[in-house]
Order: sequence, then structure tokens, then C-alpha cells
Amino acid sequence: MSEVATLSTKPESLGRQVLRKFFSNKLAIMGLVMLLFFIVVALFASSIAPYDPAKVDLLSANKGPSDAHWLGTDNIGRDVFSRLLYGSQVSLVVGFSVAAGAVILGSLVGAVAGYFGGWVDTVLMRLIDVMLSFPGLFLNILVLAIFGSHFVYLILIMVFTSWMSVARLVRGQFLQLREMQYVEAARAIGVPSWQIMFNHLLRNATGPIIVAATLNVGGAILGESALSFLGLGVQAPQTSWGQMLSNAQQYMLVNPIFAVYPGLCIFLTVLAVNFVGDGIRDAMDPRQKIHIPKGRMAQWRARFSKSRA
Amino acid sequence: MWEYLIRRIAQSLLVLLLISIVTFGLIHAAPGGPATMFIKPGQSPEMVAVQMKQWGLDRPLPVQYLDWLGRMVRGDFGNTFRANRPVGELLWPALKNTVILMGTAWVLSLLVAIPWGIYNSTRQYGLSDNLAAGIGYAGFAMPAFWFGIILQVAFALKLGWLPLSDMYSMNHRGEFFDLLRHMVLPVMTLVLINLASYLKYSRASMLEVLGQDYVRTARAKGVPERKVVFRHALRNALIPIITVLGLDLPYIVGGAALTETVFNWPGMGRLFVDNAMAREYTVLMGVTVVTAFVVILGNLLADILYAAVDPRVRLTGKGVTSA
Repeated sequence: MSEVATLSTKPESLGRQVLRKFFSNKLAIMGLVMLLFFIVVALFASSIAPYDPAKVDLLSANKGPSDAHWLGTDNIGRDVFSRLLYGSQVSLVVGFSVAAGAVILGSLVGAVAGYFGGWVDTVLMRLIDVMLSFPGLFLNILVLAIFGSHFVYLILIMVFTSWMSVARLVRGQFLQLREMQYVEAARAIGVPSWQIMFNHLLRNATGPIIVAATLNVGGAILGESALSFLGLGVQAPQTSWGQMLSNAQQYMLVNPIFAVYPGLCIFLTVLAVNFVGDGIRDAMDPRQKIHIPKGRMAQWRARFSKSRA
Repeated sequence: MWEYLIRRIAQSLLVLLLISIVTFGLIHAAPGGPATMFIKPGQSPEMVAVQMKQWGLDRPLPVQYLDWLGRMVRGDFGNTFRANRPVGELLWPALKNTVILMGTAWVLSLLVAIPWGIYNSTRQYGLSDNLAAGIGYAGFAMPAFWFGIILQVAFALKLGWLPLSDMYSMNHRGEFFDLLRHMVLPVMTLVLINLASYLKYSRASMLEVLGQDYVRTARAKGVPERKVVFRHALRNALIPIITVLGLDLPYIVGGAALTETVFNWPGMGRLFVDNAMAREYTVLMGVTVVTAFVVILGNLLADILYAAVDPRVRLTGKGVTSA
């Protein structure tokens, strides 16, 4: 009944609508909870971890799970559980900073291409075509092998190979938005181009950009794990899940279970991010139909027919 | 049509050239350049200079690039620094091995994904559709190489059914059935990555077409459902799938590189990874150019096929326009 009452006062704001739709999506909530869990773990890794993740203890190497070492120890006696905890930091830092970088670079390129159009647009779009026609992983490997595996390089090169989708998206939005009347009005009163682009237009393209950003986070986490697995990403004594996997594969014959934990962590983190991203996308898309489960539909039908009878 | 083709081929060649220039530039921008490859500690500067001259590294960069380009066009990729072997000797067998692995996985995933996607589009949110959605989520969120490792642990170590890695067993080199046994696990890994996206696209594309008016008309005039799906809808649904196949290629090639590393498969990806660490720049250039060539060729074929399947696509000199 309260819904009817609010109708007469003020319509629900767009942000609220999106929130409501997001929180009515079970997968999205699950993803959010999982993601928050990993974020908390990453933030408090140093206080949760029972051991220093880089501490070598050859006397207790390759031990199975025990009270002292919950998930056992690896080939040089490092505590697997502590290493997993610290690994979450790397994955999340890389995931979010690469996504942020890709969004900034992509928005910039897309905005310029979409707003100015003409030859600027043609040149930038061809550049994107070139970038998309080459496996990004190869470029990442090449740069890291040549310039050395610094953490900063890792993030920079991953940004450089993942901004294209955002740029295309922003360009598409700008092509539509630049024809709007408020743009014409802004131009008429003498607002400079860059201000129209970044104050007026970019704000209206926020929705799709956020969605692209969340989906980029997952890709970046997977990319980091791949590079670290190949030995080109995060270097010891720092720990990352991909690096643990490469270690686990080398000692697969001794202790195959160690290959399971880090991979599972990557899988769950990326899954969580993707669920959240899909949830935001669905919540923001007004065309998205709400899918009603069969069971609930049957319930409603039953109730409806009862009231009639 | 011809004008379009020539234009597209010219564009592709330009892209290839660009990629080779960028790669060449990157390799030579490295601190110390490729010379750090063969300088041994304790060598006198004169010795280094002699070696630089021997490899032609003392010349200006553009000259070096043009020299490399000229030889490459004639099929000579140069020699490796360490073993002084022609790069082609490493490159072509590796390409063959990658094509065997990727090609099998690709064909298999298409054979599974397209019929399954069609089936799911006719029975939305059923058991099979939900299972496919699950595979999609898993495939997009799982590091492919991890899935490979898990398969190794399960089927090679625990069950002992299949070989752990490599392409052939020690004394069965070149035997077909031995190759097949070695291919099962890496192909399964690659199929999972491909399935995730192909299933999603084929389903979405079918759903889009099934919602069209002409499909409703077909149903209304009494065309049997089978015919509606396969005759009327499928043909149009295939068009976007072809585009995705072309666009997905770089992604698949990247995934194949990791899978090859996990399974010790002597392909292009592993060749690249191994030589990136060793900074064998002739090999890196070779792999880069050949990979880019294959990917760009794939995109070109996808575009041409696209025009062949869809009569609405008119190929003019100014790119693809649909009427």
C-alpha cells in the first residue's frame, strides 16, 4: 500500500531505481558479497595472516594441512594460507587500477573521436582496429620481457592493451549525445569544447562506462594471473595467485592440491566482479526485462485464480 | 566487390606493417637493445663492436628495419643469436603444431556451440540453457591455464588415463594415436574458453532473430517450427556469429599461448614465451608477424564470408554498408 502513497508525492529517482533493480538480482548480491569479502581480506591481510608469506622454512616444507598451517606449506615451507591472503592484494590492486586506467584512457580517446569526428575519428578508430587485431597477451609478454617485470610496468602495459573497448563505447555514446540540443546551447553561449566534452557529455555517458569498467576489472585480474603464471608478472618475494599457480604446477607431482587454491581464488574473485558488472548493466538498462522464475510465476497464477473464484 | 577486397587487403597489409614497426621499435627501445643478448661479461668493447657489426646492429635503425623487412618478405626471418639457426626452422613447425591444436579445438567448439546455442534459444531458461549459462560464467571467470592444470591433476595424475603434457611420448614420435591422446586435455581446455563466448553469442543471435516479425509471419502461416528455426531464423542468426568468430581470434590465440605453456605443447605461443625471456629478438619478430598475419587473415575471411552469407551487405569501396 505504501507504494501507492509514494506515487502521488515524487517519482522514484533514477539512482534509486537502479539500486532497487540491482538489489533484486540474486547473482548481483552474491557477487557483491563475495567481492566485499575479498576486499576485506586484502585490506587486512597483514593482520589476518598467521605467517609472513615470504618466510622460507625448509624444515617444514611440503607439509599437509595442520593446526599450524591451515592449508599446508609449499615446496620451500612458505605458509600457503598466508600467501593466498596476500595474493588477494595484488589481484585487486591490479584489477581496479588497470580498469581505472583503461577507463580514463579509453574515455579520453573515445571522447575526442566521438566529439570531433572527421579525420580525427577515422585515425583513432583505425588505431583501435590495429590494437584489437593483435593478441594483447603477446604485447604484454614482449614489453615485460624487454623492460623487466616491474609492478608499475605491469599495470601500465595492461592499461595500454585494454582501453579499446571503453573508447569504442564512449565514442558511440558521444556520436549520439553531441547532436543533443543542450550541446548546441552550450556551444552557443561559448562553452569551450573540452568543457562540453568532459562536463556535459561524459557525465551523460557514465552508465555504460561504469559497466565497461567493472567488466574490465575481471579481465585485468585474469591478465595479471596469466602474466604472473608465465613468470613475467609479480616477482618473488611478492606473492600473487598466478605466481603460486606456476609454482604449484612445477611441484604438481609432490602436491597437486596446491594448484587448486590459488586458481579457485582467481575464479571466485573474477566471478564476483562479473556478477556485479552484469548486475549493474541489467539494472541500468531500461529495456532489460525482469525475468520472473517459473515457480514464482506459478504462485502468482495460483493466487490470482483463487481471488477470482 | 573487387574494389572492396583490394581496399581491405591493402588496409590489412598496412596494419601488418604497423605491427612489425611497433614490435621492432619496442625491441630496440629496450635498455641496451638486442646487443645485451650476446655480450658476455668480461668482453672487451672492441669484441662487442665486432659482434655488433657482424649482426648488423651498428647500422641506423631504419636501415636495420628495412633490411629485416626485405628478407622477411622473401621468407628469411634471420638467425637466432644463441644457436645461430634460421628462425624459420623454429617457426614453421611451431605454427603447424599450433594450428593442429587450435584448429581442432576451434572446430570442436563450433560443432558443439552452434547447435547447443540454437537449442537453448528455443527453450529459454530451461535446464540446458541454465547449464550453458553456467559454462559461460565459468569460462569467462576461470583462468584457462588453471583449468588446464586441474585437468592435468585429475586425468593425468590421479586417474592416469591421459599423458600429462608434451605432444608425443618419448618413443612414439609422429604416431597419430599418440598425438590424439596428447591432444585431449589441451583441446578440452581451449574448448571451454571458446564455448563460453560462442554459446552466448549463438544463443543471443538466435533469440534476436526469433523475435523478428518475419519469423512470426512464418509461424502464423503455419510453417513447422523446425523449418522456422533452421530455414528462416538460423541463416540470419549466423551472420553476427561470423563477425564474432573473426573478432575473437586474438583472444583465442592468447589463450592458446597459455594452454601451450601449461601442456608443454611445442607451438607458437610457447615459442614466443620462451624466447621473450631469452630476448631472441629475431624469433620474437617472426612470431609476432606470423601471428598478426594469421589473425588479420582470419578477420579478412570473416568479413568476406559475412558478405557472402548476407545479401543485404553491399560491398562498396567505402567499407561495409548494409542497406
